[in-house]
Amino acid sequence: MTGSDRPAALTHARPATAAPFFCSEGLNKRFGGVQAVRDIALSVQQGEVFAIIGPNGAGKSTLLNLMSGVYQPDAGRMVFDDVDLVGLPAHKRARLGLARTFQKIRLFKRLSVLGNVAAAFHIHHDIPPWQYVVHGAAFARDQERCRAEAFNLLGFVGLEARAPMLAASLPYGEQRMLELARALATSPRLLMLDEPAAGLNAAEVDRLLERIRLLREGGMTIIVVEHNMDLVMQIADRVMVMDYGQHLFEGPPGQAQRNAAVIAAYLGA
Amino acid sequence: MSSDGHPALAVRPERGWIGRRGWHVGVLIIIALAPLVFQDSYWRTNLIVCSINIMLAIGLDFILGYAGQLNLGHSAFYGIGAYASTLLITKLGVPFWVAFVLAITLSGIAGMALSIFAVRLRGHYLAIASLGFAVIVHQILLNWISLTQGPLGIYAIKPPPEIALPGLPSISFSNTANMFYLVAGFAFLFYLLLDQLVRSPIGETLAAIREDEVSASSFGINCAGWKVFAFGIGSALAGAAGAFYASFVGTLVPDAFIITESFTILAMVIVGGMGTLIGPVWGAVLLTLLPEILREFGDLRLVLYGAALTLVVLFMPGGMVQAVQILRARVRRSPAAASGGMRP
Amino acid sequence: MVTVALQQTINGVVFGSLYVLVALGLTLIYGVLVQINFAHADVVTIGAFAAYFFTFAFGGNYLISIGVALLVGAALGWLVNAAIFAPLRERGSELLPLIATIGVSILLQNAMLLWFGPIPYAFDSPYSNEVIRLWGGTFITWQNVIIVVVSALTIVLLYGFMRFTITGKALRAVAQDRETAGLMGINPDQLIMLTFVLASALAGMSGAMLGPILVLTPFAGTTVIVKAFAIVIIGGFGNVEGTIIAGLAVGLIESYTTQLINPGLTDIVVFTLLLLMLALRPTGLIAEKREENV
Repeated sequence: MTGSDRPAALTHARPATAAPFFCSEGLNKRFGGVQAVRDIALSVQQGEVFAIIGPNGAGKSTLLNLMSGVYQPDAGRMVFDDVDLVGLPAHKRARLGLARTFQKIRLFKRLSVLGNVAAAFHIHHDIPPWQYVVHGAAFARDQERCRAEAFNLLGFVGLEARAPMLAASLPYGEQRMLELARALATSPRLLMLDEPAAGLNAAEVDRLLERIRLLREGGMTIIVVEHNMDLVMQIADRVMVMDYGQHLFEGPPGQAQRNAAVIAAYLGA
Repeated sequence: MSSDGHPALAVRPERGWIGRRGWHVGVLIIIALAPLVFQDSYWRTNLIVCSINIMLAIGLDFILGYAGQLNLGHSAFYGIGAYASTLLITKLGVPFWVAFVLAITLSGIAGMALSIFAVRLRGHYLAIASLGFAVIVHQILLNWISLTQGPLGIYAIKPPPEIALPGLPSISFSNTANMFYLVAGFAFLFYLLLDQLVRSPIGETLAAIREDEVSASSFGINCAGWKVFAFGIGSALAGAAGAFYASFVGTLVPDAFIITESFTILAMVIVGGMGTLIGPVWGAVLLTLLPEILREFGDLRLVLYGAALTLVVLFMPGGMVQAVQILRARVRRSPAAASGGMRP
Repeated sequence: MVTVALQQTINGVVFGSLYVLVALGLTLIYGVLVQINFAHADVVTIGAFAAYFFTFAFGGNYLISIGVALLVGAALGWLVNAAIFAPLRERGSELLPLIATIGVSILLQNAMLLWFGPIPYAFDSPYSNEVIRLWGGTFITWQNVIIVVVSALTIVLLYGFMRFTITGKALRAVAQDRETAGLMGINPDQLIMLTFVLASALAGMSGAMLGPILVLTPFAGTTVIVKAFAIVIIGGFGNVEGTIIAGLAVGLIESYTTQLINPGLTDIVVFTLLLLMLALRPTGLIAEKREENV
C-alpha cells in the first residue's frame, strides 16, 4: 500500500485556511415527540479528523443525516466551504464535495462490487448526451477511465479481487470497506463516516484506521460518528460528545476522556 | 450467501461486441423470414400483436425492472397513444407519422406527469396512484363521448400510408407482411435504444435508484429526476405501441385499455424476467403466442396468465431468464454457479 | 330537494358501509403485513357466488348465506396466506407478493369466468324488493337495512376487538413492530394468519350482501376493489378509524355525484380525490407516519 498507488480522488492536499471548512449552529431536529438534535453547533477545520461520539441514542446519526441532507433541520444553519447547506437536497451536496457512508449498510445488493463503485461515479461522467445512445469515442474513454478509477479505489480498500462478485455475497467486514470505496468515488473534500467500525473485528478495525490515516495524509477532511471511544482516541484530532441530542463537550480526545460530564453520560447510559 | 432473495436480477451475462452484433443480426434475419414462414393472415396478426406487446413489455421493464418504479398503469399510456394518434389523424387530418410522433410525445408527457406527481410516493402508494390514473384515463375515454365516441368506438382507422420510394414499388401497409416488418422493425429499434441506455452509466444510475435511493442520493444522483426520465421513456414506448395498435387493428374501443391490460403486460415482464430487457421480450412472445397455439382452450388463456405469473413469482422470480441461467449452469455442472448465476 | 338529498344520503351510507367492510379487510392486511392483496376483490366475488348458490342451489336462507360466505371467505384467506404470503415473507421483497396476488387475482377471475360464464346472475334476495317508507318521502329496502345493520355491527365488533381484547392488541403490536412483538412472545405468523382470515371473512360477507345489489359476474369484485384501495389510501393504510370515515365519505360522494352530476363520472371523481389525497397527504386522513430508519 504505497503512496503511488493512491487513487486520484485522494491526493489533493490543500492548504489549511483559518475559516472552518464546515460549521453549524443552532441545529434542531424533532421527530414526533422526540427532540433528536437540540441546538447543535460545531465547526470542523479543513484536513482534520473530527469525531462525534456519545452513547446510543445520543442523536449522532441524526446529526450526520442533517449534514448530508437525508433530513432537513427544523432550525439552524449549516455552512460548508462558504455554501449554505440548509434547504439543499442531498444529491446536490454530493456535487459540492460531501460524501458519506451509512450506519446501516446500504450497498446496491444486486449489483457487482465493481458495479457499486461505478454507480457512484455518477457526477463525474463526461459524455455528450447523444453518446448515451450511440456509444462513441467519448463514451469509450469515459467508461475506461471510470473502470480504471474504480479498480484503484477497490485496491485502496483491498477488494480488487472481489470486483465481479455480487455485493450481497461479501462478508460483512468487506461490505463496510466497499461502502468506503463508494463514498470515495465522488472525489469528496469532506467525508462523513457513520459508525464505520460497527461490527468489525479487531483486524478489520485496524485496516480501517490505516485507511483513514492515509486519507487524512492526502488532505481529506473526515467527520466520524463513532460509538467506540477507544477507536476515536487513535485517529481523532478533535472530538464532540453528544448526549440526548445535546452538545456536551468539544475538544481534544484526551480531555474528553477526563471530562466529568462525558464520563457520567457514558456510565449513566 | 444468497443474493438476499433477489435472484431475479443476477448479473446479466456480458457478451462481447461480436456476440451482441451476432444476436442482432440473428434477430433481424428472424424478422425478415417470419412473414415468409407464416403466410396466413391469422399468424401474421399474432406476430404483429406480439411485436406490439414486446414494445409494451420492454417499456414497462425500463420503468419497473430498471428504475424500480411499481407502475401498474401502463395501459393508460398505451390507450393515450392509440387515441391521440387516431384522433389527430381523423379529426385534424394530421399525417400519420406526424401524429405518431405527437402521440408518443403525449404519452411520454403523461408518464412524466404521473411520475412527477408520484415522486415522493413510495412503493405501494405509487402502485395505487398509477392504478388510479389508469382508471381515470379509461373512464375519460369511455365517457368523453364527443371526443372518443365512448364505448361505441372509432371505426375504419386506416393503416399507415403507403411509402412510395422512387424506382421501387410502393409499400402498402394493408399488406400484413409489410405491417409486420414495420412494427417488428420499430420494436427492434426501441429494444436497441433501451439496450444502449441500459449499458451506459444511465443504466447504472437507474439500478442505483432501484436498489437504494438514499445512498444513491449521497452519490449525487437526482432520484426524482431520473425516475421521471424512466417513466417518460417507458410510457412513450407504450404510446408508440398504441399508435401501431390502432392503425393495425382498425377499430378502437376504450375497453382495450382497461386496467387488466396493465396486468397482462406486467405478467409478460415478470414471467420473462424483470430487469433484463431480453426477459420481457421472451415473456411477450411466450404469453402472446402460446395461448394462440392452445387456441382450443380459448378462455383458458387468461387463467394461464394468472397461473404463470403466480407460479413464477413463487418459484422462479427471475422468470425465464433465471431459468435459462440455472439450466446453463447445470449443463456446465459448476456447483457454485448452479445456485442462480452468481460467479465465484 | 330535501328528499333527494336525504335519499342520496341514505344510499351513500348503504354503499359506504359495504365499501368500509371491503376496505377494512385490505387495511388490516396492510397494517400487519405491509402488503397489498389484490386477490381481495375476488374473495368478495367468490363470497357473492357462494351466497348465491347456497340460496338458490341449496335453497338455504339468505341471511344464513351471509354466514356461509363469511366462512368461505375465511377459508380463502387462509389459503392465500399459506400459499403466497407466508412463503414469500422470508424473501423480503416489497414487490413480489403484490405481483403474486395480481397473478392469483387474474387466475381466480378467469377461472370463475370459465365456470360461471360472463352472463350476470340474477341474485335476488328476498329482501331486495320490500321497501320501507321513511320520513320525508325517502325509502329504503330491507336489503339495504340488512347491509347497514350487519356492517355496523361488524365494524363495532371489530373495533372493539382491536381496542379491547388481548388478541386485538397483539394484532396492533405486530402491525407496529413485528420484531419487537415477536420478542414479547407474540407469534407474528399466527397473528398474520388470523388477520388474513378475518379480513377475507369480511370480504366474503360483503360479497354476499353486494350480490343482490350489484351485477353478479366474475368481475363484480373488481368494480369495488379499486375503490376500496382508494378508500384505504384516503383513510390511511393500516388505519381502522380512517378507513371507516373514508369509506362512508366515498359512499356519500358517489351517491351525490350520481344524482347531481353524472353517473358515468363517479369513478373519475372518486379517483381524482384519491390522487389529490396522495398529492397532499399520502399518509391518509389520520396520519400515522412510518419513519424510515436511515
